Amino acid sequence: MSKSKTLAELSEESGVPARTIRFYIARGLLDGPVKAGRGAVYTTGHLARLEKIKALQAEGRMLAEIAHDLNGPPVERAVPPSPWWQHAIQDDVIVWVRGDVSPWRMKQIRAAVNDIASRLQEPESSNARRNRK
Amino acid sequence: MSTAASFAPLKAATGKAVNLSMQRLWLTGQVLPAGARLLVQHVFQSEEDKALEVIYSFPLPRDAALRRFRITGEGFEAHSELKETEAAVKAYEAGILRGSLSTLARQYGDGVVNLTVGNIRPKETITVHLEMLCGVELRDDGFRFRFPFTLAPAYHARAKAAVTAPGEGEMELPADEFGDVILPGFREDASLLHQVGFELSMVSQLELDEIGSPSHAVRVRQDGGRWARIALAAEKDVPNRDLVLDARFKSVEPQVLAGRDKDGKGRFAAIVPSSSFGVTNEAPRRVVILLDRSGSMHGEPLLQARRAIDACLGMLSETDGFGLVAFDNQVSTFQPALVAGTREFRDKAHEFLMQVKAGGGTELVRGFLEGAKLLEGGGGDILILTDGQVSGTEKILADARSAGVRLHCLGIGSASQDRFLALLARETGGVSRFVTPRERVDLPAVDLFATVGRPIVSGLTASANIQPEPPSLVFKGTPVLLFGDAGETGENQIELSWQGGRLNLPVKSSENDIGETVWLLQGSRLITDWESRYPTSEAWAPLEKRKQSRVAAQLLALSQTYGLASREMSLVAVVKRAGDRPGQLPETRVVPVGMAQDTAFRAYFLSQAGEAMDAMPADASGFLAAMAPASIERARRGTAMEFTTLFSRGDAVGKFGNASRRAETAEDILLELASRIDSDGGMPGKNSESRAGATVIAVLAFLSQGHTPTIGAFRSHVARLVSFLQSLTGLSSHQQEMVAAVVELARKGAAPTGEWITLARTSGDHWKEVERGVRKGAIPL
Repeated sequence: MSKSKTLAELSEESGVPARTIRFYIARGLLDGPVKAGRGAVYTTGHLARLEKIKALQAEGRMLAEIAHDLNGPPVERAVPPSPWWQHAIQDDVIVWVRGDVSPWRMKQIRAAVNDIASRLQEPESSNARRNRK
Repeated sequence: MSTAASFAPLKAATGKAVNLSMQRLWLTGQVLPAGARLLVQHVFQSEEDKALEVIYSFPLPRDAALRRFRITGEGFEAHSELKETEAAVKAYEAGILRGSLSTLARQYGDGVVNLTVGNIRPKETITVHLEMLCGVELRDDGFRFRFPFTLAPAYHARAKAAVTAPGEGEMELPADEFGDVILPGFREDASLLHQVGFELSMVSQLELDEIGSPSHAVRVRQDGGRWARIALAAEKDVPNRDLVLDARFKSVEPQVLAGRDKDGKGRFAAIVPSSSFGVTNEAPRRVVILLDRSGSMHGEPLLQARRAIDACLGMLSETDGFGLVAFDNQVSTFQPALVAGTREFRDKAHEFLMQVKAGGGTELVRGFLEGAKLLEGGGGDILILTDGQVSGTEKILADARSAGVRLHCLGIGSASQDRFLALLARETGGVSRFVTPRERVDLPAVDLFATVGRPIVSGLTASANIQPEPPSLVFKGTPVLLFGDAGETGENQIELSWQGGRLNLPVKSSENDIGETVWLLQGSRLITDWESRYPTSEAWAPLEKRKQSRVAAQLLALSQTYGLASREMSLVAVVKRAGDRPGQLPETRVVPVGMAQDTAFRAYFLSQAGEAMDAMPADASGFLAAMAPASIERARRGTAMEFTTLFSRGDAVGKFGNASRRAETAEDILLELASRIDSDGGMPGKNSESRAGATVIAVLAFLSQGHTPTIGAFRSHVARLVSFLQSLTGLSSHQQEMVAAVVELARKGAAPTGEWITLARTSGDHWKEVERGVRKGAIPL
């Protein structure tokens, strides 16, 4: 069974600062501790992974690449890249906006979505009054 | 539900908001001609259901040091402690382990700071009020204040960069040189990032004539001439460029800012304009111009730099020697040795410049070593035109010092490398200027070149209570800044002496808090100077090994004396609160910044085949996570691009169009005139009469735009033109009379009304227009 380590011990043994270890965990390069909370511990598996990351960095790889390599091949997708943003403007309304439009267009879209959102926030009666005008 | 909140990106998988972890950065404080004392407010907010550790990276402005911070949240307020960096990191980590809110402000190489706030609780808002001191760029007639709202990517031979999503890039620096510094993500579009803004006061001993900003729309309120309040005109802005403020004094004269520090001791900062030394230097020059042609200079900066060099060469006479070097990863030299400033060599230099194209990295050291080789054995100066976007600046500074050449820097950029270029110039005995790409680059270059190679004072020394030592050389247009103490009485005398001169300035402390500020400014300046002096091996050493370093010892002593942070001492605060959860693992978020305005994203970040690299796990990347799951293209395998590839020629996409499409201004015409001046100081022509006519018109054209033999960017050109006119013989008595009248006008610094700029562009005989103009009489400029 792997010997348990605290974050400080893992940092000491690997030579990787604790803050960097947390950063790696957040980026998915490294698994989180095996137990959460006060008794959070790390294993020799964590240490081995950190050594692997260091070795790959020494070969000139970026963290982004290393995460890619260590986490296995990604799922191939045929859809061309196109970021979309979700805006949940009400509990029952979600607006999707393409994320790579020009800034002026984004401004225009924002204004329109803001308008819809504020109209949906108003009580039904004021909406009805507005529609009657 | 607020619509503002609805605009936060959402995780596609869960539909939950991934809010920006830093919401707002607001700058307040006081700007003086000797430097600024600033308070930077950072508002961090977690809309998530877990504790966060947020890292915000920023570059220090010139001559800057962090003093302290105050951290506030609901029901608490805490203050930072200054500790040796190793101890500060330990205290921070201990706080994190205990589950307490912990904050660390730590400085790394190149003046990059990581402000890390850990254990921000879910739904909590935390504000860090960070106090810092910084310098300003001084000129005889005013000063420029610059504060970075973003951190620009920079060239390093071993750096790696990649696109992580459309319009998003990240960069990593080698850990053996930069330690555990974390750089921000870079966003091509900064409009959805945290908001920035400012409200500053400005205080001067001399009356302030004009205050403006080439970077932001500002509201300025002036009161009594010596005080002003400057605020962002809009409600908020985006983090994609530096704040740049310019102030101009009504008069040019020495000023002494003096007061008592918190212990009652008199402290002062004195600004002595170069005009106070009252000397001019017309000795022949030996100058090398170094042109950065790296990818990030693509577009208008390079076009303007080329034209500026042409005009600079117009200042040279046949007794002057010049060299020209263009560099990126490679170095191209115009001639293997300095050449005389003859027409022939200047024409060849022009042809050389026309071949210069942007692309490649910024191997600054190679450039100035080549320049030093050209100057070998004879002394002289190097003028560098660069955006200065480089990392590993301590190594460059060490190389520059050992090269033994004087470097003058004209920095061009919307995001700060001001600290580095100011140091590069100062540490080698030169002067620096920094302009934004949306300003004219050519005129400041001409202005700076007019001073290069001709110090007006050498061997300057000051009385013993001045620290740091004043520069040995003084150049026209750049004042000398002195910090010192005025003892218990608060009164003192500054004694300056140099070869052939002496100057005394009285110091009288007033009963205000300016003494404390100037003392802190002195500390931040001293710390910055020492920060730049790490021998390379020491600069790169891990903390525990750096303890042996002489520079580290000096920095420790300075940090302790002045209470300011440095690479050796950091600021830390741990706030113990009820409900702290020991052992919880906060999730790290790195605050992204906008790409520097006018810097092409593709100049630094290219994905293979233009694809977004699937680099980050969806849960860990705010904006990438916001994409719809089906829309994320998984690249075959993301590959970090080497800089040699990234900076390949033609890859950089400049924002600016072709300069020739821009409407021609009077300054454009003056630049063209300046570049045509012959090596004897006159305008070209087929005989002495036509040369005299063209030269007279050129002088009037310069005078009409405010450039005289002593004032303005083209002062050296005007002085040479006038000198040529004075040397003329063989003209008709009428022409001689006109020439004498124009020389007199130049002496007075006045031009008669007339279309001199238009005439300067028109060939032919203009003696009649000159006569009419001269007879109409001079008007004061």
